[in-house]
Order: sequence, then structure tokens, then C-alpha cells
Amino acid sequence: MVWGSGFRERLGRFAFRTAAALGLGLVLLPLVLVAWLSFFSNEILSLPPEGYSLRWYGAALAQPQFIGGLWTSAAVALLATAVGLLVTLPASFVLTRRAFPGREAVVQLLMSPLVVPAIVIGSALYMAFVEFEVMTEMPLTGSVAGLALGHALLTIPWGLRLLTANLAGLNPAIEEAALSLGARPVVAVAKVTLPLIWPGVVAAALFSFVVSFGNLEVSLFLVAPGQTTLPIAILQYLQWKIDPTIAAVSVVQILVVAAGLLLTDRLVGLGRVV
Amino acid sequence: MVRSGLTAAGLLAPASAVVAVGLVLPLVLLFRYSLNRFVPGQFMVEALTAENYVRFAADPYYLAILRTTILMAVGVTLVCLVLAFPVAMVLARARGRWKTVLLLAVVLPLFVGNAVRAAGWMVAFGQRGVVGSLMEAAQLPPVTLMYTPFAVFVGILSVNLPFVVLTLSSVLEGIDERASEAALSLGATPAAAWRLVTLPLSLPGVLAAGVLCFILTMNAYATPVLLGGPRFRMMAPTVAGEVLQQSNWPFGAAISFVLMAVTLALTAGANILVARRHRG
Repeated sequence: MVWGSGFRERLGRFAFRTAAALGLGLVLLPLVLVAWLSFFSNEILSLPPEGYSLRWYGAALAQPQFIGGLWTSAAVALLATAVGLLVTLPASFVLTRRAFPGREAVVQLLMSPLVVPAIVIGSALYMAFVEFEVMTEMPLTGSVAGLALGHALLTIPWGLRLLTANLAGLNPAIEEAALSLGARPVVAVAKVTLPLIWPGVVAAALFSFVVSFGNLEVSLFLVAPGQTTLPIAILQYLQWKIDPTIAAVSVVQILVVAAGLLLTDRLVGLGRVV
Repeated sequence: MVRSGLTAAGLLAPASAVVAVGLVLPLVLLFRYSLNRFVPGQFMVEALTAENYVRFAADPYYLAILRTTILMAVGVTLVCLVLAFPVAMVLARARGRWKTVLLLAVVLPLFVGNAVRAAGWMVAFGQRGVVGSLMEAAQLPPVTLMYTPFAVFVGILSVNLPFVVLTLSSVLEGIDERASEAALSLGATPAAAWRLVTLPLSLPGVLAAGVLCFILTMNAYATPVLLGGPRFRMMAPTVAGEVLQQSNWPFGAAISFVLMAVTLALTAGANILVARRHRG
């Protein structure tokens, strides 16, 4: 195996590095290009840029659909995260601590929002919401509550994955010690278990927020004119044209998500979450 | 902790209820609607007919959409695996601060959303975009990239790469480095060590990543809409179009189930094929 190793090995290393750089480049290039465009001074996409300016960030702020979308997205993401955590936390307790018949089926059920295509979830929810509205005359499509319900569904598999991973690494003897010393189960969970799995809870919350905040396929069916989320507002604008204004809006979305991820990394370490 | 079965059931109930009411029930409804009849002007007429499925299977227009989607999914998956493997190896070997930076570089685009990333490719492929200007500067004839299958291919590739990289790197991290070191010390070239040791050990991860990439492409929505334009059709945008623009719920529902069934059948087929190859 000594023959040709010099040239071949160098060729192999070159191919490996090229492929790695190409892969990473393909992932990062679109974000870099959007950020670049947002600083152009010319109003339309045209290269090379005539100059650089920050005015499109102001122009983006002046468009009501983006500001409204940002608030709707934030409100929906907060509500979906809260609902998602509230239902997922107790479920993860049971799923890590108890073996029972049908456990696998429950796990499959709770993970299913990740398996069914988002566009199908969106269609199905939309039709169900419309039927519900016809029956009760309570508006659900286009409401923050309706969007939050749809998004809460999507956060459950992520929350379950992160929380069960954290709970599985926890020694149940610590909890039992609290119980044997006379603590009521609720107190034991609040004072002993939750502080111990806190990193997992934070990670689940941040991931849920980010999953909801960036969602397109489910929101698409549940928004109404005048009540859209930020990604939908971006999508609709892009179907019409690409310009520095929409690039500035995109950068805002990138910054919100980056802040969430950096916070996750600070608190629990990104490597433990993904 | 969770002693009685009743408490356990009570703790599982809220999450199960959300998924049952928010997903299972609507899916049942969706399936029921796929058997209804669509009468223009009357919206939906209750029926028990397979005509929506028959219409899909008999119309070359819709079959072409399905074929485009499957071809796109296979192509993207193959290229994605080739490009993601080296990135995953770099990520799996990285340590400390460098690892965090790499991880962030892979995860951030993942969560930024497909519309924003499609916007980036629009800057690259647009009429007066990066590629066009470079071609002009090099005095080469202009090429149209925007609203072509190629643009969609690159866009989906970029969207799926992070998923595949993360899946592969988590598998690679679990492989004992000493295995390939042993091969190297016994005289194997790095390429041979990779082919004979690393690749076989990571094959389950490759399969999982490939299946994930395939499913994601089958369901892609924003990228084909934004980079493919109105004339390039894939399955997910077709579902959305039937349900939202045409208000043809029965047909939209039927396409949804065709999409899910085809995806399921093809991924199951790939699993069986790889399992058989692996055994033999």
C-alpha cells in the first residue's frame, strides 16, 4: 500500500477538504448573501452595489406586515412553547420512569408531529378549524390561539426528546430520598427534580420557541389577511420580489434565532442539544 | 415517583390529548374528506368515492408532479450524503470552541427557516444576481438559473445539509477512533481506512440520514415555490394550492395521502434493500 501514497493521499485529502468546504459553503452562503443584500444602497437587486446603507432596516420597520408579523410570531411562539412544555414535562416523567404496556405506542403518538409532513398537518388542521368554526362560530383560523395550538403540536416531539434525554441521565434515588424524608411528590419534583433537569427544560423551551418561530408550512394554512406570522410575511413578499428591504427583515429573523441558539449554548451547551 | 397507574395516565393525558385532538382527529377528517366529491360552485359534496385518487393516478399532469418530486428527492439525497459526510467528519473530530462555532454554523441556518434561505439563493440566482453579474464580468453568455429545477435542487440541498450533517456526526462520534487508527497503523491509506472501517461502521447512520433527507425533499414547500416559480410543481405546493387556492378539499386531501403513502413505501423499500445488502 506504499505505492503512490504521496500523490494519492494528497489528492484524497484535497477531495475531502473540497467536499467539506463545499458542503459548509452551501449551508452558509444563503445567509451571507441575504445579510449582504440588506446593506445595499440601491433599491433593487443589482450587482455590484452602488454603495452601502442601513436605511432598509428603517424601511422594513415602516411596513406593518413585518412588525405585526414579528409580534404575532413572538406571541405564538411563546404561547406554543408554554403549552408544549406544560404537557410534555409530565409525559416525559412517566415515559422515563415507568415501563408499561403500550409505552412504545404512546411514544410513537407523541413523536408523530415530526413524522407526518408539515404541509399535511397544516391542511388537516385547517379543515378541522373551519369545521370547528362552522359548529361553534368561534374564530380559530387567523387567531393567535389557533396558530399556537398548531405550533404546540410541533414542539411536543422536540420537547419530549430533550426532556427524556435529561431525565434518563438523572439518578432516581435522589428523588426517592426526598420522598422518604417526607416531601410530597409535588414538592420533591419542584425542589429536587426540576432544578436538576433545568438545562434540559431550558433547551426544550428554546428549541420549541425556535421551531415555532420559524414555522412556515403549518402557519401557511392558519394565518388570515392582516394576521400573519413573520415567516409567512417574508414568503409572501418574496413571491413578489427580492430587494434589500426583505433582506433586512430576513436578517432580523436570523438575529432572533441566533440569539436563541447562543443563549442555549451559554446555558446548556449546543452540543448537548442537537 | 410515578407510583400508581392512574397518576401515570393522568400525566400522559394532556400531551396525548393535544396530539390526538390536534393531529390524529384532523388526519381522520382529512382522510374522510378525501373520499368526498368536489362539485365546482358547491364546494364539497358528501360521498364515498375513490374518484379523487383515481383522478390523481390517471392524470399525467399530477403523475409528472409526483415523478419530479421523487427524482428531486433521490438526487438531493445522493448529493447531500456525499457532501455532508466530510462536514460531519470534521464536526465529529472538532473540539472546544471550534466545535461550537461549527455547530452554530450548521444549526443556525437550520432554524432560520426556508423562506429566508431561499431569499439568499434568489440573490445568487436572480437576473442581476451574483452568478449573473459574474458571468457578465467574465463576458460569458447569460444563463437563466432562477425558476429552474437546478435552482430548486441547490436550494433544497442547502436546506437539507444541516439535518444530514447532524445525523451523520452523531453516529460518527459514537465510533471508536482507534478502529480507523488501527487500520492506518497496519498500512491502510486514509482512503482505504475510510472505505473499509469508517464507512461500514457508520452505515446505519448513513441510512437514517438518507431517509431523513429523502422525506424532507418529498415534503419541501417553500424552496420549490420561491426558487422554482409558478411553473415548476412539486407535491407539497400542489397540496397547498388545491386546499387554499382551488378550495378543492377532497382532491387536496387525496394528494396528501398519496404523498404520505409514496414516501412511506419508498423509505420502507430503502430500509429493506439496505438491510438485505448488509446481511449478504
